[in-house]
Amino acid sequence: MIDDWIGHYHRHRDSVVSRLPAAFKLGVALAMIVGTVLAPPTAVGWFAGMAMLLVFAVALGRLPLLFLLKRLAWLSPFILSVALVNALQPAARGSWLAVAMKSTICLLTIIVVSNTTPFSRILRVLKAAHVPGLLITTIALMHRYLFVLVEEAERMRRARASRTFKRQRRARWQALSTVVGQLFVRASERAERIYDAMCARGWK
Amino acid sequence: MNAAIQVTNLSYRYHDGTEALRAVSFPVAPGECVGLLGPNGSGKSTLLLHLNGLLPEKLGWNGAVQILGQPISPDNIETVRRQVGFVFQDPDDQLFCPSVEEDVAFGPQQLGLSETEVNARVQKALAQAGLAGFGHRATHHLSHGEKRRACLAGVLACEPSVLVLDEPTSDLDPRGRREFKALLRGIAATKLIATHDLELVVELCSRAIVLDRGAVVADGPVTDLLNNEELMLAHGLERPHILRHHHPH
Amino acid sequence: MRSGRDQRFRRQLKRRASTERLRERIIMHIPDGFIDGKTAATTAVLAAAGVGLALRQVRRRLAPRRVPLLGLAAAFLFAAQMVNFPVAGGTSGHLVGGVLVAALLGPSAAIVVLTTVLIVQCFLFADGGVLALGANIFNMAIVGTAGGYAIYRVMCRAMPGTRGQVAAVAFAGWCSTVLASICCAGQLAWSGTVAWPVAFTAMTSVHMAIGVGEGLISALVLLAIQRARPDLTSEVNGTEPSRPWGELVRYGLLAAVGVAVFVAPFACSWPDGLESVAAKLGFEHKTVQSAVSAPAAGYRVPGVHWAVGATALAGAAGAVIVFGLALLLARSLVREGEGDTHLTKP
Repeated sequence: MIDDWIGHYHRHRDSVVSRLPAAFKLGVALAMIVGTVLAPPTAVGWFAGMAMLLVFAVALGRLPLLFLLKRLAWLSPFILSVALVNALQPAARGSWLAVAMKSTICLLTIIVVSNTTPFSRILRVLKAAHVPGLLITTIALMHRYLFVLVEEAERMRRARASRTFKRQRRARWQALSTVVGQLFVRASERAERIYDAMCARGWK
Repeated sequence: MNAAIQVTNLSYRYHDGTEALRAVSFPVAPGECVGLLGPNGSGKSTLLLHLNGLLPEKLGWNGAVQILGQPISPDNIETVRRQVGFVFQDPDDQLFCPSVEEDVAFGPQQLGLSETEVNARVQKALAQAGLAGFGHRATHHLSHGEKRRACLAGVLACEPSVLVLDEPTSDLDPRGRREFKALLRGIAATKLIATHDLELVVELCSRAIVLDRGAVVADGPVTDLLNNEELMLAHGLERPHILRHHHPH
Repeated sequence: MRSGRDQRFRRQLKRRASTERLRERIIMHIPDGFIDGKTAATTAVLAAAGVGLALRQVRRRLAPRRVPLLGLAAAFLFAAQMVNFPVAGGTSGHLVGGVLVAALLGPSAAIVVLTTVLIVQCFLFADGGVLALGANIFNMAIVGTAGGYAIYRVMCRAMPGTRGQVAAVAFAGWCSTVLASICCAGQLAWSGTVAWPVAFTAMTSVHMAIGVGEGLISALVLLAIQRARPDLTSEVNGTEPSRPWGELVRYGLLAAVGVAVFVAPFACSWPDGLESVAAKLGFEHKTVQSAVSAPAAGYRVPGVHWAVGATALAGAAGAVIVFGLALLLARSLVREGEGDTHLTKP
């Protein structure tokens, strides 16, 4: 399903963590991330503490372990490339472990929050944090329509593919760019209709 | 008694010059349910967009459209939009908020109502549309039928006296169609329904208007019009089965 | 009953699907932990300033009718970024789309759109860190987009017509990728995560290759849109400003501040060069070391400075080559005089 494909866990399971207020979760997450980023590599105690807190949160939030492992795997290219690149610096080799640990902790934190909090609640917190209204509207509309457009793109791509008989790369690139171009045209037309729908219900 | 909708000699051209509507005129009495029929490209959607002041874009009217006795003008456009509830063809265009609750609340919020009043209207509209308890659901995850009902709820929350619907039952499965039909039957407002669903028109509407290439070619009682096989076929339609075979329902 | 070949095919599909999930499209989305506190704070301030400027510009100029278009363009960009453009073996190219959106909607709207995409990717999909959001927005949404757009406009003016537009988007797309990666390298170095020479060489060379895909895809997509709906790509659209230089100068200043902080201290190899001279002449003090930059202590890999210089030269040569390729691309894709009636001179 499209949700797994994008890698986001959509069906929010009801749990202790999901019932906590969004502002609280975001605040705690921010504190954890800031603390982790600022902590010196030698602060093993802090890292251990964060790790325990996360294990706790994952358990309470009833998040599936396989899903978490898959999402953490996203991070590995970065960590590997930094490790590779730092291999050239004999003195800095130790620090990549700290980087790996920090980024894993921070990533897990945000995964726990984003998978136990509906996005609209997160958006409400951002609004309360005085993020400008136009940006909030844009984010809300993007969130609402991104799945619609992703599915539309997939349908168009499949329809195109069913009529593409050349296997050359050039033909495929042409076909795909036509699909993407058409996607923008449709998005643009849809935006106009959404504007009409908003006006029809009194938006000024 | 003022007509709920009065259209007089409405003409409209697209940007590229093609005529979309040619001297369209018809009244709709309060409480009436009128079906707007016609082949694809006949101008049904364009006509409907005029009833809410969404067309023409540059608010340059000649009084061709009157809602509840008042011609649509830049001054009363907001009142008109409150009085005329528009249900769009693609529910995804209309449900632009992330959750059902937020979307249904959009209209009342734009009206400037208090939070308690907004909540009351939302719950009432959801109940009317058969979506009680759906408030927290994400709009993207609704089924097509649920989306259509959520659109209707969003419009009902504004408590309009006139309902304009553009192809409300297209893409619905038979059960969804039956449920939507039952919903519409229960709503007392004046209704103008543009549709290809001829059986819906027979079951709900008392009167039908046939549009072809931007002009009104027929306007009269539903059974008379739809039984007229010649007329139907001449304008890209047909005599619906429900009239051909005398079924009890 | 499944044959052996059938099973192998299924396994291959599964492997490809999981490789797709580890896509390189996020190669520039810096996760948390890779940049330190001071870098995060500085980039956050710069990003906030840039986005604030963009929002003000959009609010002032954008017709109310086009407000939903910002959100839809962001959704479009997200969906477009998911599309796999096959390259070779299992790799594929992807669009970031800053210059494309800027060509369609103008630079300020594009900054808002890219920022939106980055924020949603961060909070919904955990793509890119929360504290690193400032850096990601600064690199991709501001430097990449505004910088790329400036190049696009200059080229469009020099070569009016659809051909010029296509060549401009292709070259500007490449430039935006490279520019963003240089800033990213600077941020990594300033944080002490990766030493500058290594970061610069690695990031820039990789992104010079990735940028080709970006430029090519942007050009192809813009051409497809131009052919389907020319009114969306010309100034008649109303969102693209006829005189963008005022806003571009402001974004340029912001970018310049960022470059001054993240890149300039490293780009000057004077400290090390002078130091070696001083050592030769017998001076032991490290007085010439820049206060801001501090190359990782204790590291002296010979030839690395050479690598930086070589990369910079390769970059310059690459720019010339890509520019030529962009012109060739436009010539091969666009017929003479195609679509010119719809274009007003930008």
